[in-house]
Amino acid sequence: MTGATTGRQSWTPREELAEGTPHGDVYLRRLIRSQLRLSLLALGAFGGLIGSLPLLFLLFPDLQGVAPLGVPLPVLILIAPLFPLIVVIGLLYQRRADSLDEAFRDVVSRE
Amino acid sequence: MIAAAAVVAVAAGAIGLGVWGVRLARTTSDLYVASRAITPWWNAAAISGEYLSAASFLGIAGLGMKLGASVLWLPVGFAAGYLALLFFVAAPLRRFGSYTIPDFAEARLSSPRVRVVAAGVVLTIGGFYLVPQLKGAGLTIGSVAGTPYWVGVVAVAALVALTVALGGMRGVTYVQAYQYWVKTFGIALPACLLLIYLGGLPERAALFGRELPRAPAGGLVVQLDSAQKVEFPESARYALDGRVFRASGGSERVLEGRLVLPAGTAVPVAEGGSVERGSEWSEPVERSGPASPVFVYSLLLATFLGTMGLPHILVRFYTNPDGSAARRTTVRVLGLLGLFYLFPAVYAALGRALTPELYVKGETDSVVLELPQAAWPGLGGELLAALTAAGAFAAFTSTSSGLLVSIAGTLSHDVRRGSAERPLERMRRFRWAAVAGMVVPAVIALMARGLDISVLVGWAFALAASTFCPLFLLGIWWRGLTARGAIAGMAAGGLVASTGIVATLLADPAPTVLGALLAQPAVLSVPVAFATMIGVSLLDRERPEGTEETMLALHGPEGLGLEALRARA
Repeated sequence: MTGATTGRQSWTPREELAEGTPHGDVYLRRLIRSQLRLSLLALGAFGGLIGSLPLLFLLFPDLQGVAPLGVPLPVLILIAPLFPLIVVIGLLYQRRADSLDEAFRDVVSRE
Repeated sequence: MIAAAAVVAVAAGAIGLGVWGVRLARTTSDLYVASRAITPWWNAAAISGEYLSAASFLGIAGLGMKLGASVLWLPVGFAAGYLALLFFVAAPLRRFGSYTIPDFAEARLSSPRVRVVAAGVVLTIGGFYLVPQLKGAGLTIGSVAGTPYWVGVVAVAALVALTVALGGMRGVTYVQAYQYWVKTFGIALPACLLLIYLGGLPERAALFGRELPRAPAGGLVVQLDSAQKVEFPESARYALDGRVFRASGGSERVLEGRLVLPAGTAVPVAEGGSVERGSEWSEPVERSGPASPVFVYSLLLATFLGTMGLPHILVRFYTNPDGSAARRTTVRVLGLLGLFYLFPAVYAALGRALTPELYVKGETDSVVLELPQAAWPGLGGELLAALTAAGAFAAFTSTSSGLLVSIAGTLSHDVRRGSAERPLERMRRFRWAAVAGMVVPAVIALMARGLDISVLVGWAFALAASTFCPLFLLGIWWRGLTARGAIAGMAAGGLVASTGIVATLLADPAPTVLGALLAQPAVLSVPVAFATMIGVSLLDRERPEGTEETMLALHGPEGLGLEALRARA
């Protein structure tokens, strides 16, 4: 854009990354940090959900008396709805992680 | 007879697909990793097919019948393990391109010593995981063909060793995908048909409420082939080989022979099990005992973090074309596993009602095999039993071949590395390693008949969560990890986990908090492993060289065009 410049300023992000320059490293660190943040967020969401169940069942023993279809509610919760929920969390994560990668690709291919 | 035919049909189908797969993909890298251009759905079915082992097919239902609803945490953890793999491992490891865990360890930390340690852990976990598969084989073949336990163990060990030695992983993707559907139909169809036939859960189930499992209207006849210690929950009159005895409530007797319980007698329970009323049996969490919160959380942690460290799982991810495909595959795996895990609980509940003799024999692990004929006498039950037998056969053969490929690969490739060998020599060593790698697990399986399949598998998960999980999480996401840190962390985690496991095996500690920690050590051993790995790495000055490039290889998405740029330079 500014004509023929020489030296580091003229490098494209792709070159920075390929050469492992400090600039390139900053790009990479930013990507890793954003991916890690997403993973930890997803982990927190899932862990909070599953992790609270044993405590919930322990603190509210009356749930055991609620029995739709003749099966106590805690047992039903463990068998059926958890698995679709795990898939949904996985799907949401996968979409987001792929779009972070996509954004990184856009940054890198900027000339 | 029908069941035997079904097992043979499944085996023949697998072999046929294997041969077809070899024709389909014939390139040199196929020995370890099948062709890389396979769609996510095929891949996901193959991963699930390899993962769903005897523990899932037989073990969950068996342990569920024995211990009750607390066992339902196991399938949740087994499935959620793939969520952890998805969040932290799947895409980076696919991009990095190491085929095995020892490969990853050496390449990431540029240290051959880490490779050797990792190889040792692969062998331990793989061996631990093979034992329950072979136990499942002994039970299933015994139930189908009426042979003694050891015949099934030896026959399947030999069969699997032979197939792996001859075939490697060639064409295995299609075979494993096929095995997934055999297993899912094998468990789902009988479960649904039995529920329809019985019109829901049977009345005398003693599933919930104050009831104990009782002998049915016609009385209960149990053949005890070897001397068995059983506990009588209530005082009862019973007959042993025709002579009538009386047992008082809570007493223990050693019995052998033909045991007859009159109708309505509370069913005695073999040593190792405990007598539970319906209300206790149906509680997912209890204040103490084997369903105490400490135990449940520790089990969830072990399965959640242990899945990524199972040696036979990761290698499957390299058949994905790129990191993003690895993620898409993993999401599909979650769906396929969730579908399968809806059904084992049905067998646990029906088994408590309809096959109470398994409590007396202490063989609840075979409930999936025995239930159909007990619930539906006649041809219907026989056909369904054939389905579950075929599914069980698919379960233990697929998992044990996957495990043995990893074990043999590690034995021949990592432990003793020759330099610049001819491919033919390598092939020959792989074959011998496949045979050798099967011997020790088979011998242990012959001695481990009394241990529950799911308990054994739970330990393998605990070990994997305390060694390879920190290696992956820190190796992939933290630049500071060093070779010394990785070795120290794996050693510390592995030591704490195995101390608990060995102590439980030898001493059978009381069901206190300490006992729960020993029996399921993950909640302790995982933090120890992480802390040691981080601590030693921080003290260690010797960072591996080239960490920046490694990080780029792990996390840089495909299609950046870096290779072309480097090639030009």
